[in-house]
Amino acid sequence: MKNLIKMKKIILSTVLMAIVVVGCNQKNKQEESVNPEATENTSQLYSCPMHPEVTGKQGEECSKCGMELTEPVAQTETVSEEVKTVKVAATPFSATVDANVNDYLKVKNALVKDDSNGAAAAAKALLATFNAANTTSIDAKMKKEYIEIADDAKEHAEHIADNSGKIAHQREHFALLSKDMNDMIKTFGTNKKLYQDYCPMYDQGKSGYWISELTDIQNPYYGSEMLTCGGMVKEL
Amino acid sequence: MSSIIKKIALSGSAIFLLMQLYQPERNIDYVRVSPMHFFKTFSVPAKVQDVLQTSCFDCHSNNTNYPWYSYVQPVRMLMDSHINEGKENLNFSEFGTYSKRKQRSKLDRMIKQIKSDEMPLASYTMIHRNAILTNENKALLLKWIEKKSDSILANN
Repeated sequence: MKNLIKMKKIILSTVLMAIVVVGCNQKNKQEESVNPEATENTSQLYSCPMHPEVTGKQGEECSKCGMELTEPVAQTETVSEEVKTVKVAATPFSATVDANVNDYLKVKNALVKDDSNGAAAAAKALLATFNAANTTSIDAKMKKEYIEIADDAKEHAEHIADNSGKIAHQREHFALLSKDMNDMIKTFGTNKKLYQDYCPMYDQGKSGYWISELTDIQNPYYGSEMLTCGGMVKEL
Repeated sequence: MSSIIKKIALSGSAIFLLMQLYQPERNIDYVRVSPMHFFKTFSVPAKVQDVLQTSCFDCHSNNTNYPWYSYVQPVRMLMDSHINEGKENLNFSEFGTYSKRKQRSKLDRMIKQIKSDEMPLASYTMIHRNAILTNENKALLLKWIEKKSDSILANN
């Protein structure tokens, strides 16, 4: 009888354990949200009441006459207003493309430095900007085009993000990502000055394209090994 | 002392038996081949079809050829996680649903993965010896995929 109770206990505990084991199998994927912190620059400039060309922070003295700088400089205000109007004039969608391009360039620059972990982190950020893309302001045909490009690009960004430490693998996906970005810029345009570069050494000359914000060559496919290999194909 | 060993052995085998109750749906299409299948999207030569079938489709299609030990847990769970990951990255049964861009980039990835011997996975070929790509089959496969990839590029 005692044995029977013992057996029951054992069976009960094993059932519990089995439930726990199965329960543990369900992975809880934590979704990480990337919140880009906005850094605001709020330094207000003041000028001398006698010499408006002399500017500095509040409380400082004019270098010409020693008077306190008291006049708030209006110029900076007009500049910030200009920036604002430019931003309003541009559609939210071009901002999306610009954000994608910016993050892509960070991936590129990490690969130039042979920084596999940096490339992974930058690709993760790129993935987040792709996921946050706002396509409501463009018509259906353009939207389809964008989603097609973004879907492919997202996959490559994901692979780059997941393979820190395997830089050769990351570079393979970077080549395909570069093609997507090139098509995206071609279709939707960008406010940035960009160049398409090409390395004839990479992948037997098949896929060694990349997009750069620099006029000189910094090769993301070879990094320090052959930093200046390649040439500019065209301005975008 | 012996009672503890007995307990562990008993609970261990009880867990093992209970695990066998978990038999999720199998990755089998029961000959209902999707019209979006790779073989229907492209005209694939029979030889290439055979190689793809034996070396790739267990993990990269909606139709896995399950071995007998797939009925045993936890082997099955391990297998399923591999199949899910494989299908997520490339599913030949749904290749036609991919955009032209994605199709080309997938073909390109196939070439790179086969060339670098990363696919088929070593852990898979260890058991499925017939899935190992011989040099001859590898060349056959690569030649065909490269041709296809170039033709998609030329059409766009």
